[in-house]
Amino acid sequence: MRVAKKPGLVSGGSLLPVLKNRVAFEVARGIKAFLNVELGLIRGETPGAESGLTDAKADTREKDTRVRQLGQIGRRLAGRARTVAEPAAGDGAQDNRVRPENMIWIFGSGRSGSTWLRSMMSDMERHRVWEEPMVGQLFGVFHKQAQEGQLRSANFIMGEPTRKGWTRSIRNFVLDGAHYANPRLGPDDYLVVKEPNGSTGAPLLMEALPESRMILLVRDPRDVAASVLDGARKGSWLYERKDKGRWKENALADTNPEAITRRRANMYMTQVGNARDAYEAHEGPKVLVRYEELRADTLETMKRIYSELGIPAGDKDLTRVVEKHSWENIPEENKGEGKFYRKATPGGWREDLTPKQAGIVEKITAPLLEEFYPA
Amino acid sequence: MPVYKTRTAFEVARRIKVFLNLEAGAVRNGTPVPGDIGASGDPGREQELERALEDKERVVARLSAKLVAAGNDAPGGRRGNVKPENVIWMLGTARTGSTWLGDMMKNLPGHDLWHEPRVGEFFGFYAYERAAGRKTANFILGPQHREVWLKSMRNFVLDGAEARFPDLEASDYLVIKEPNGSIGAPLLMQAMPESRMVFLIRDPRDVAASALDAASEGGWLQTRMKKSPRVRARVETATSQPNTLVANRARMYLQAVSNSRDAYEAHEGPKVLVRYEELRADTLQTMKRIYSELGILIEERKLARVVKKHAWESIPEDKKGPGKFARKATPGGWREDLTSKQVRIVEETTAPLLKEFYPTG
Repeated sequence: MRVAKKPGLVSGGSLLPVLKNRVAFEVARGIKAFLNVELGLIRGETPGAESGLTDAKADTREKDTRVRQLGQIGRRLAGRARTVAEPAAGDGAQDNRVRPENMIWIFGSGRSGSTWLRSMMSDMERHRVWEEPMVGQLFGVFHKQAQEGQLRSANFIMGEPTRKGWTRSIRNFVLDGAHYANPRLGPDDYLVVKEPNGSTGAPLLMEALPESRMILLVRDPRDVAASVLDGARKGSWLYERKDKGRWKENALADTNPEAITRRRANMYMTQVGNARDAYEAHEGPKVLVRYEELRADTLETMKRIYSELGIPAGDKDLTRVVEKHSWENIPEENKGEGKFYRKATPGGWREDLTPKQAGIVEKITAPLLEEFYPA
Repeated sequence: MPVYKTRTAFEVARRIKVFLNLEAGAVRNGTPVPGDIGASGDPGREQELERALEDKERVVARLSAKLVAAGNDAPGGRRGNVKPENVIWMLGTARTGSTWLGDMMKNLPGHDLWHEPRVGEFFGFYAYERAAGRKTANFILGPQHREVWLKSMRNFVLDGAEARFPDLEASDYLVIKEPNGSIGAPLLMQAMPESRMVFLIRDPRDVAASALDAASEGGWLQTRMKKSPRVRARVETATSQPNTLVANRARMYLQAVSNSRDAYEAHEGPKVLVRYEELRADTLQTMKRIYSELGILIEERKLARVVKKHAWESIPEDKKGPGKFARKATPGGWREDLTSKQVRIVEETTAPLLKEFYPTG
């Protein structure tokens, strides 16, 4: 017996409405067989079947993995608890901590080439990477959102009257975390901390670690917005990588691109604005890098980065990492619209953004555009 | 019954594809048939995984707390003037009498009070809300090195306490009044497992009534923090959409009190559960019980003195009443303060906690 037929046209990230059809038949008492069909025309990646079933399966797999991970952590902790009287190698020993002067922080904003830059740096001798610890977001956002009255109060955990104390605490917090997240780091190794999305906390982190090295990596905010818009579309890398839940609900790239453009521009202002403030105040080794120059002449820019950071780097090594991670060496199937490696074309926003979207970004980020990309 | 699933796509123009997704399977009474690999998963398996996750998270939390405490006793541990075992955390939620209880405790000999450092909000909001989905080893609060960041958190709190209270004697007690940071209660108590904990609760309907009154036009919240945009927004909500404010407060209550309750249950150090209603009904006896359960010796006459000093009756009449910080102090006053719709909102939202702590209604 045919029990249901619900054809429907649904618009989404596709060029035309998608034809969706669900047919179900009762094959035994209480048991129905179903057939879902989706047909459409789309730019970029083919969407997956969107029934909640796929999500639920992924959810189950994720939980399974979490249970296994927690089991491993529990066994490790139980082992440590049994031997806690004998300090484990590197346990809390100040000598084994990461040397703050060997930390190289990359701040700026997401989608500014920070993954590319850190990939090149990670292939340099004695370099390791701490990938987005988000410690800048942890401290930075809380501090930024505090009310004036709180900041003036000695009671507030990050109040001005006790700033010296909590700045020291931030330093210890970061160094302990860096040591444990990177246990194989040697005493003379460099630790590249890729933290563009934690740039809100850049001023606090650089104040806490004044001897660290800092890279301020900037990119034209219009290209950043174009890159995010592309990634956040249904089927694109960012959309698919994010957890289910509110992020996807709020993604808006397909339904309200102006809203996501505005949101991204505001984020750019906060992150790059704070990273710029940190850069200006920082008295340790530092370098300002524009994505556009890194793209135009990668080798020369890398040489300048290492020179300004005061880290010896041979031309041969730099040439090797530049070549290895060049745009041209990324397989064609991993590049293009909807992919993490999308375009790498400075100024591409002219064809990617509508005039209205470009206008939104320009208005919101005007002070930074004027500073870093004067007309 | 296995599902059949296929995706076909072919390019019809540059970067433009036609696609066809097909999916077939079976359901029993709307529920996926067991064994169907495309199904949302066996509900039994889902529950089993949920339970396993909870169990393992509890084990990891307990072991982490033990390691943090053990590390503190190790040679080279902290030597500050604030002793974690002398810290008394007051957790629960706002508008539960925490200021009153804090004032009484502060006035006892060898006690000082840290008024709302918000450190629980700091770590708790980040860990449980903003970054709840982050599980990688790189993440600064990653589960893989939980005991490390719990120890960092512990040092953060103790460093902050020492900076704020440089003159505190090592034998003194430091009461940390943190009702608004209770979202982070589980983390705080794991980071400081030898600390003492007061879990202070109050009927959520009275809490909502108090919050609504505080945010009223001309109320104490507006008077004290007139420049705060958040307070301005809250006053506006209280005036134009009081039910929304009540709903927000109920949700906040649920999260803060649930987390405090979880922390209280897991905490192996000295602890006490206090209901505002009993503190109000017999303050001296409740104070005696608090100190007894916290394992702190205090002479009864000293308790009686602070109880009397901070009694409701000792507050000048012009400082009490609607719109004032000290408003009513009448358990059950919600019956005349809230509308029936507002009562229903609170009761529905906080149902599990009402049932647990106020079962007789």
